[in-house]
Amino acid sequence: MRRFRFGVTARIVAVLVVLGVAVFPLYWMFVTALSSNSDLFADKPRLTPDLGQFGVFVDALAEGKAGGWLLNSLIIAVGTMVLSVGLGIPLGYALSRFSFWGKALVTVVLLFTQMLPEALMVVPLFALFRRFELLDSLTGLILVNSAFVLPIVALILKGAIDGIPKELEEAARADGARPFTTLTRINVPLIAPSIAATAVIAFFHAWNEYVFAVTFIFNPDLQPASVGIANFIGELGTPIQTVMAVAFLFTLPAVAFYLLVQKYVVSGMTAGAVKG
Amino acid sequence: MTVVEQTGAPKTTPRAGARRRPSPLGSKWTPYLFLAPAALFILVFQAVPLLQEVYLSFTRTRLLNPTKSEWVGLDNFNRIFGDPEFHRTLLITIVYVITCVVVAIGAGLVVALLLNKKFRGRGVARALVTVPWAAPGIAVALIATWMLNAQYGIVNRFLDAVGLGVPGGAILDSSRYALPAVLATTIWQLFPFTSVVLLSALQSVPAELNEAAHMDGAGRWATFRAVTWQVIKPTVGLLALLMTIWSLRRFELIWLMTKGGPVGATETLVIDLYSQAFDSKELGSAAAIGMVGVVISLIVIIGSRLVARAVEKGDVR
Repeated sequence: MRRFRFGVTARIVAVLVVLGVAVFPLYWMFVTALSSNSDLFADKPRLTPDLGQFGVFVDALAEGKAGGWLLNSLIIAVGTMVLSVGLGIPLGYALSRFSFWGKALVTVVLLFTQMLPEALMVVPLFALFRRFELLDSLTGLILVNSAFVLPIVALILKGAIDGIPKELEEAARADGARPFTTLTRINVPLIAPSIAATAVIAFFHAWNEYVFAVTFIFNPDLQPASVGIANFIGELGTPIQTVMAVAFLFTLPAVAFYLLVQKYVVSGMTAGAVKG
Repeated sequence: MTVVEQTGAPKTTPRAGARRRPSPLGSKWTPYLFLAPAALFILVFQAVPLLQEVYLSFTRTRLLNPTKSEWVGLDNFNRIFGDPEFHRTLLITIVYVITCVVVAIGAGLVVALLLNKKFRGRGVARALVTVPWAAPGIAVALIATWMLNAQYGIVNRFLDAVGLGVPGGAILDSSRYALPAVLATTIWQLFPFTSVVLLSALQSVPAELNEAAHMDGAGRWATFRAVTWQVIKPTVGLLALLMTIWSLRRFELIWLMTKGGPVGATETLVIDLYSQAFDSKELGSAAAIGMVGVVISLIVIIGSRLVARAVEKGDVR
């Protein structure tokens, strides 16, 4: 009996410790943003946010360049989302419903691209971007981010289409619908949750992307938030509260949306990796 | 192969269905029309740059004058493999990757087992534990750097308070503690993913089997090994593969926290590759380092498939 009771308490404590470890750094980001200077540099740091300091979020957006950064990030992320999902749906459909020459090769290439580090591709892509005048352009970042997130989007959508009974489509085809119509009218509505999940993945892939953004963008007005925030590290002079407020505004949407689509992301990513 | 089953698709139907495919207006070109746009994209932004990178690795090319590149054969590879610093980079990469794989999966398994039991608020706990995985790498690097700040960082204040403080507190400037700090941050970001994946694998462990093992008088550990581990083994293998590939290519977290320093203490292959290209401006060496990384990834992937196949055969008996 005694052992049983201890087990329950120990489990509760263990769960709380795990959650503390998981959440604390982001909580600390929030607390740091909402700290007065005297709390920040006091001998004993304040462990709770000082809500009286809430103006730091307003200041961060209004005075700094953060508003512009977040807007650039938003443009890049929305563009990447539209493009990669737009290309990923037909690719996933082709992989799921057709058997064709080269299918195995396409699948292998999709999986292979998952292991290429962005840093390796920076140099040749830089040359390519220079030739096509895509340096210093948000369009260029949208294109390259789409290419990098496309494989995982396509593999997740392939898995989703695999799960839809073929009979639905065959009936439509028997009525004379073209493949494209059966895709848009029959499959797309049925895989809407997976499409939403891949849209979120694509959005935040681009939202978080750093290497290409820092190498291909020179104009400070075109910097996305990932680059802007990264420049804070090691940069003296910006109040740490502002830094943390911007970083918090940058992090919050990513965390919130990922929590919503978590299960699709997990099953999609593992399924994609297994198929190789 | 629990994870494969999630995608559903009965194993026989795809092929049988495909043969009946000739449908109204769908010619044999139809699939190519669907995949052409995406294929073009991947060709332009992945395949061609990769081939260029392969070519570069056999040349001497300077960043500042890239058009003037000179074919040098295996020179770059000979040079990096003869360089003791590169040996250290390889060693650090191996330590980094293996630690990430082992600790992220170990911690993930513990957390998954913890969250697999029924208790009130389990849904919320499962969601909250995902948070680190969802946080952008940039933000993680920033908050980690701040928390590890020598003077005002909460980590140092805590360590000082419990009497374990690093002298001077400069964890990220210490060639001894920088790598553990970067590893801890990486693992903090990775373990939610492994635990969520393992949790979904644990849910396919049949409860009757556990009970049966208990009835037979097996202890907890024996039950775990006989039942649970057998079910989750393929998922663990898959996670090991994913964690290996992801840790091999992880860049921004290390770069922003330490830039590979102090004096190369946190320099993994990708960091070395990036600084060769943009600090030393030697594109050829950078490409050669990149090729080493790609070859390691390929060996890991092919090796893991061979092992998986051998295990499957062994299981058939």
